[in-house]
Amino acid sequence: MVKSPITGGGVRLRINGSEHLLQIEPRVTLLDALREYVHLNGTKKGCDQGQCGACTVHVDGRRVLACLTLASQVEGLAITTIEGLAVNGSLHPVQEAFIRHDAFQCGYCTSGQIMSAVGCIDEGRTESDTTVREYMSGNLCRCGAYPHIVAAVRDAAQAMDSGEGRSR
Amino acid sequence: MNNFEYVRATAIPDALKAVARQTGSRFLAGGTTMVDLMKCGVELPSALIDITRLPGLDTIEAGPTSVRIGALSRMSDVADHPTIRKEFPVLSESLWRGASAQLRNMATIGGNLMQRTRCSYFREPGVYGACNKRDPGSGCAALEGINRGHAVLGTSPSCIATNPGDFAVALVAFDATVHVENGKAQRRIPIDDFFLLPGDTPDLEHPLSSDELIVAVEVPTSSALRRSHYLKVRDRESYEFAAASAAVGLELEADGRTIRDVRIALGGIATRPWRARTAEEALVGRTFDEPTVRGASRLAIEGAVDHGENRFKIDLAPRVVARALLTVGGIT
Amino acid sequence: MAVPNSESLKSNGTYLGRRIARSDGVAKVTGRADYALEHDLAGTVHAVIVESTVPSGRIGNIDLAAARTMPGVLRILTHADALPLKSCPMVPAGSVMESFLPLQDDRIRYNGQPIALVVADSFDHATEAAGRVRIDYKTELAVADIDDPTATLIDVPGAPSSGLARGDAKGALAAAAVRMDVVYTTPREYSCPMEPLGAIAAWGNDGGLTVWMPSQWAEGARRAFSDWFAIPMNKVRVVSPFVGGGFGVKVTAHADSLLAAMAAREMRRPVKLALSRPQNFTGNGLRPAIRQKLTLGASEDGKLQVLIHENTSETSVDDDYVEGGAATARVMYAVPNLSSTQKLVRVSSFTPSWKRAPGEAIGAYALESAMDELAYKLKLDPIELRLRNYASQDPESAKPWSSRRLREAYEAGARAFGWERRSPEPRSMRDGRELIGWGMAGGAFPNVHTPGEARVTIAADGSIEVASSGADIGGGTYTILAQTAADALGVPFEQVRVRLGDTSLPRAPVAGVSQIANLLTGAVDKTARAAREELLTLASSHAGSPFKAKRVNDFTIKDGKIAPTDGSAEAVMISELMRMVGRDRIEVTRNTMPAEKASSEAEQRDAYDSFKYMGPPSSTHATYAWCAQFVEVRVDEDYGTVRVRRMVGAFDCGRLYNPKLAESQWKGGMIMGMGEALLEAIHIDRRYARITNNNLADYVVPVNADVPDIEVISVGEPDFHASALGGKTVGEIGVVGAAAAIANAVFHATGKRVRDLPITMEKLM
Repeated sequence: MVKSPITGGGVRLRINGSEHLLQIEPRVTLLDALREYVHLNGTKKGCDQGQCGACTVHVDGRRVLACLTLASQVEGLAITTIEGLAVNGSLHPVQEAFIRHDAFQCGYCTSGQIMSAVGCIDEGRTESDTTVREYMSGNLCRCGAYPHIVAAVRDAAQAMDSGEGRSR
Repeated sequence: MNNFEYVRATAIPDALKAVARQTGSRFLAGGTTMVDLMKCGVELPSALIDITRLPGLDTIEAGPTSVRIGALSRMSDVADHPTIRKEFPVLSESLWRGASAQLRNMATIGGNLMQRTRCSYFREPGVYGACNKRDPGSGCAALEGINRGHAVLGTSPSCIATNPGDFAVALVAFDATVHVENGKAQRRIPIDDFFLLPGDTPDLEHPLSSDELIVAVEVPTSSALRRSHYLKVRDRESYEFAAASAAVGLELEADGRTIRDVRIALGGIATRPWRARTAEEALVGRTFDEPTVRGASRLAIEGAVDHGENRFKIDLAPRVVARALLTVGGIT
Repeated sequence: MAVPNSESLKSNGTYLGRRIARSDGVAKVTGRADYALEHDLAGTVHAVIVESTVPSGRIGNIDLAAARTMPGVLRILTHADALPLKSCPMVPAGSVMESFLPLQDDRIRYNGQPIALVVADSFDHATEAAGRVRIDYKTELAVADIDDPTATLIDVPGAPSSGLARGDAKGALAAAAVRMDVVYTTPREYSCPMEPLGAIAAWGNDGGLTVWMPSQWAEGARRAFSDWFAIPMNKVRVVSPFVGGGFGVKVTAHADSLLAAMAAREMRRPVKLALSRPQNFTGNGLRPAIRQKLTLGASEDGKLQVLIHENTSETSVDDDYVEGGAATARVMYAVPNLSSTQKLVRVSSFTPSWKRAPGEAIGAYALESAMDELAYKLKLDPIELRLRNYASQDPESAKPWSSRRLREAYEAGARAFGWERRSPEPRSMRDGRELIGWGMAGGAFPNVHTPGEARVTIAADGSIEVASSGADIGGGTYTILAQTAADALGVPFEQVRVRLGDTSLPRAPVAGVSQIANLLTGAVDKTARAAREELLTLASSHAGSPFKAKRVNDFTIKDGKIAPTDGSAEAVMISELMRMVGRDRIEVTRNTMPAEKASSEAEQRDAYDSFKYMGPPSSTHATYAWCAQFVEVRVDEDYGTVRVRRMVGAFDCGRLYNPKLAESQWKGGMIMGMGEALLEAIHIDRRYARITNNNLADYVVPVNADVPDIEVISVGEPDFHASALGGKTVGEIGVVGAAAAIANAVFHATGKRVRDLPITMEKLM
């Protein structure tokens, strides 16, 4: 059993391959840990209550919401944020497809959309526009980039499938 | 959010011991309800016992007589389980029609059963004093408030809060059992007994004591489960709770027309997942056709009471039941 | 990292007009675009607002004892000890900015009003302590909403949409063969940008204030802080390089950034204040509920004789905010007799603010629904009715249109949609248990112009920097300004860097009314041409120049190389010439003020910090963007749920600087219109005069699964009366007409005319 008292002990987070030891209280969410303590601001706070998807990150390869995840809960697990997606200075195929299809405007939901899209592709949910729409519906976009997001996801899925891209 | 002690349990006995150690301790699984309600100021645990790393509770066994789902299985894993998808469609559909892909990757089956109402008056304790569910005896602000989303079945003068579950509706339709542990004996709670009506005590939602842990749900297989469907109607196409939903299953006699077994439960319209036994009974032995199905479906909302804005649910719910049945019966 | 573009950027010629990918794209897809709350300052503390939980009355006792003892709490501000503030009269009170200033008195105006501010060492500590502040109220009677029986109507004769009249509306109505009057109601709606409001504020030792906040108008916010805190403009800096959506709510500074600045001053350290999502609902950013009565009179053959528009909308306790709906009705059709009136209902609410296409969006919903109703009444095709009333000039001013390709929009949209296959009878098209409906509507959005300022710098290495305080709220300002400068200077697009959203840069007016693209491309084009002139002056006259040509006009610049047009010498890179003439930079600042006013600092301040200079771009022509929208809906017969299956929009927005980005704007507007038509409504609990659905699960906006394929078509041509470079407004026209097209499609599907948005299932069951 691991205990962390109210006053807060160290929480060891593995983010994008790097270890971070944070002195935070148990109530600090993964989202606030990333933004306020590690200063990785790419993960966005849109609602802070599980209703918009802007804070989507990957924990052990699965897309989840950082706002409803306590940082303590994911100690030692592999956390990937938008900052960890591009490798060696080259964009992930999904990032590239988002630019090519103009799948965003203001950009605030974009980190979450892209992390969610990578998950959607990994889960194999790209066989039709309808499927992509359903499995990308956990990410609100108020600018209304949805049709372009669908196009980008399908395009990136194809690119990754045909080996042009790379898997995560 | 209040602060609390965080305990990560790595074995079931440890978890049970930890939760019993101080009052106000609660289990933490996916967190999608608990953390949300803590931010709302509704849940104020003194300690959270993180059970997500307990071993052996995330297995899914789809056997010949029952499907046993470990309580820590994630909604998405159950929804995508090949056998469940193929053989028991209502279980998969009621899961993937809920929440969003991200939330389904977090939320567990045990936690899903424990999710709490979306009633606005319940969720803002700092503003609305009257909520019997939160604060017994304080009243119910929803009765004369904004109640388009509120229940029309199973209500009481104390509470009209809707149970928001989808998967639970399927479990109720197909007579699932909830397996519970408290360190002494395992207990099996029939799903019908698992969700309590509000009555005078809407704060009591389940028959669990605070030191009991859900370890699994088990659904007996049946022909009706194999021919089943979950239909969810809502304002937008996805990522929203139901205005009305129905979990149904159907088994026909060898003649292909006469109803041998039928299961009907409703969601989004009642204070608990709502089994419609009268409607089921009216259908068994009858010929499966649209007029019969529509007629019987109206029995599903027997005793419904509206509070103004939610009156439409009384019309909507039977139509949802009928359409779900027609779909599994091949009349589209 | 390279920006993937669908077409090669290497080709010569102009960049404007081409489908170039967003130049801020890489920053946005890698999470590196720095939004306001992402500025990390050492020593930052966190502030959380405590809101009133009653709608009206006075604050009684405030008990801070429990909150003060919470861990990490540093300070709690209330009206008893908060810094007195001065008012900011930069725009007419209520026009877009509230006059309300927080923590100045004990009066409660609305449920959700900021009444205390808790400052603590962490967000969690401040949040928890805010929940422990105990407040007693002396409550008074509130007016909950537009339908509250105790509400009283107020006349606003001075409102822009009020008291308009042409011809003799009364007489014409009496004489009209066909008459119709209908009332359309729309609920409170929220902008809901994905980035919530909030700010980081820090005061320097010199008494200067810096605020990082999402702003559609950094200059306007700067003016507000200057007025509120009574400090000179040059002591205020507002930084807002990226804005996570605005749609009107971020046009001016509100209580959140104001309180951050107040607390930072009190604390003598940086303060971060992030509104929670529920606080974004209870505090700012709503379109008021509106009731529009339209009376139409027409001849038997469908010629409109008269149109009477009577508008009633909500406003706040403090201000007269007017959301008039008559703007579209005034210009859409050749109707000789017209009148419009405006009334307000004062409700216990904060002052409403703009939401995308304020006035036009709801005005077009009513007008274009009424036209649809008239078409059915007269048994005319909806397009035919509109063509019979086509306005060949501005019916209001009798001025010619600068351009009006609305006929072409009807045609192109109808063709793409397949309108001719529509069976006109309601309920005549179906697919299984779904009724199919096809509907259409038109829309208009005015062109306005405000002067702007820009700076263009040519660096020693030949790279170009364009700078303006104007905002890119997602429309693509970064990209199109780079295109503009690249064209004007003859350099590759990638060589241009654009800096925006910072008041330390040259000044710009509001990114609202869809004006920023047109006015800043104009300003940047003018400035870049001046920089080119300066560069070529060096080429033609400086002793160090390798060229013999002596006139600026004798040179061309292409792909960043300068050469005499007659080919008499080898081309030279800009960087080379800069070296040869011994310059490390050329920096030029220009504005687009009227020449006679350009030298006056006071006039300039008015131009960029108020709406004084905002007006039509042409004195001789009426300038509008136009659209025609076509929609297919499916309505489930049992449930009454409406799903949009196809949308086609044809737009006349003049010249498109970047069609790829313009199309995104149009589609986004159409989707927002879908939300208005089918989903979005604020629910007010009358007993508390409070918003109950103050979150994104209960205030439902469209999700991906709601949105079908959308086809958009440009029918515009360059319009140089509308703007310097020929564009018309793009950002808001997409939402104008979308809700009406959907509502009309719903009628076609079901035979039911729902005149109260949103069209939710219970209205169709």
